[in-house]
Amino acid sequence: MSLLRDKSSFMMNIFSFGRNLFTASSPLPPVQLPAPMEAHFWYILPDEIKSTNLLNRYLEILSPCEKENIFRMSGEQLKKRALLARTLVRTTLARYQMNRQIDPKSLKFWKNIHGKPEVDWQYADDWRLPPLHFNISHTSSLIACGVTVGSPIGIDVEEKERRLKNDTLAFARRYFSPLELEMLTHISDPEIQRKEFIKLWTLKEAYVKALGKGFSASPFKTFTIRLRDHKGGHTHLPPYMISEVPEIIVESCDDPENLGFGGNWQFVLLELAGSHYAAICLEQGKINEGEKTIPVNLTLRKTVPYVEDECISSAAAAVARLLG
Amino acid sequence: MATRNVLLKYLRVQIRGLPQSARPSPFALSPNVLLRGFSEEVKGCFLDKSEVTDRVISAVKNFQKVDPSKVNPNAHFQNDLGLDSLDAVEIVMALEEEFGFEIPDNEADKINSINLAVDFIASHPQAK
Repeated sequence: MSLLRDKSSFMMNIFSFGRNLFTASSPLPPVQLPAPMEAHFWYILPDEIKSTNLLNRYLEILSPCEKENIFRMSGEQLKKRALLARTLVRTTLARYQMNRQIDPKSLKFWKNIHGKPEVDWQYADDWRLPPLHFNISHTSSLIACGVTVGSPIGIDVEEKERRLKNDTLAFARRYFSPLELEMLTHISDPEIQRKEFIKLWTLKEAYVKALGKGFSASPFKTFTIRLRDHKGGHTHLPPYMISEVPEIIVESCDDPENLGFGGNWQFVLLELAGSHYAAICLEQGKINEGEKTIPVNLTLRKTVPYVEDECISSAAAAVARLLG
Repeated sequence: MATRNVLLKYLRVQIRGLPQSARPSPFALSPNVLLRGFSEEVKGCFLDKSEVTDRVISAVKNFQKVDPSKVNPNAHFQNDLGLDSLDAVEIVMALEEEFGFEIPDNEADKINSINLAVDFIASHPQAK
């Protein structure tokens, strides 16, 4: 017991601030639930959050287990990042309250057999919350949380300027599908090639995370992500795609007709804050032959929990909806 | 080189472990060791764990993103070294290069700390 107390005071001090009591925490402004085929994408820029006051407030809403995990990490930056990630998840989900306020601290989570976290929506005996799904991703400079209703979701963010240690094509040869390798090989400019690699990585990662079965259940080599041109009926590989409504599709390498693939996955690829690529993947219901897939309706919000939200319109310079 | 090291380390352990009075020559103790050292079986031998640890640690330290001071045998890629999933895959690739064998995806998935990498490699006869 005393050990926990010591740890708790240690954690207070890691942000160089004594214990700060918030007796009346301001409520989190509620938001509307996402509609079907709609995804909400929330993100935090950790470098913008410097107030130790605020960070300590965030610490207050975490579970003891989450605090333990943060305590065990090494380095201020890692601790801060982990803290912000848990805070983003808890405060975001708590805002989708229907009839009553939800205390972010009270949310419980569980992991499926493959380790994918889900919310335990058995909130109270008399009522259940809507089947919200979420997924998080973080880099050192951006932490994101995607939310949907009734559909599994996977997201991944990467820094645009990220350098690979290995040679891009060597990496693709080892981990990507043959078609994807071929696509990358055809790009002569190494900088464009690197960027397309990163985009492809985020899309593949988002897909695997949406499936929720872990990297090993859907090895990257076994599926191809590419674009389909509705107009021409051809399948193009980026960056040669020039179409009105480019659509990102995923195909199994063994089963290109997708007969055995199951599910209908929708992708969105964004460029965020000029500095990151973000991919979002969610499942759409089966559509009939010849029907056009409805593009995913996306709401983007940059947030500093308990302080402010900024709804980013896709027309803004800060975001470019690249594909999907 | 690797087989020589394995052989030497095995022999060294033998020498240290023996009481002084016991025998005239350490080599006389286990002739099997010496014989085995020159046989084909050594090629299928497992690498010594401490050697694997050293090589894994230096491969990880080689990553620009990694703070070398944080790299110790217990380091967790995500929680201690701040690496993400792409970094983890890059590390697996670097280890494949270092040890000369391919790590299957379903195993690579589980390697998220130095210890796990070492355990996996040290238990694989194809590791060089």
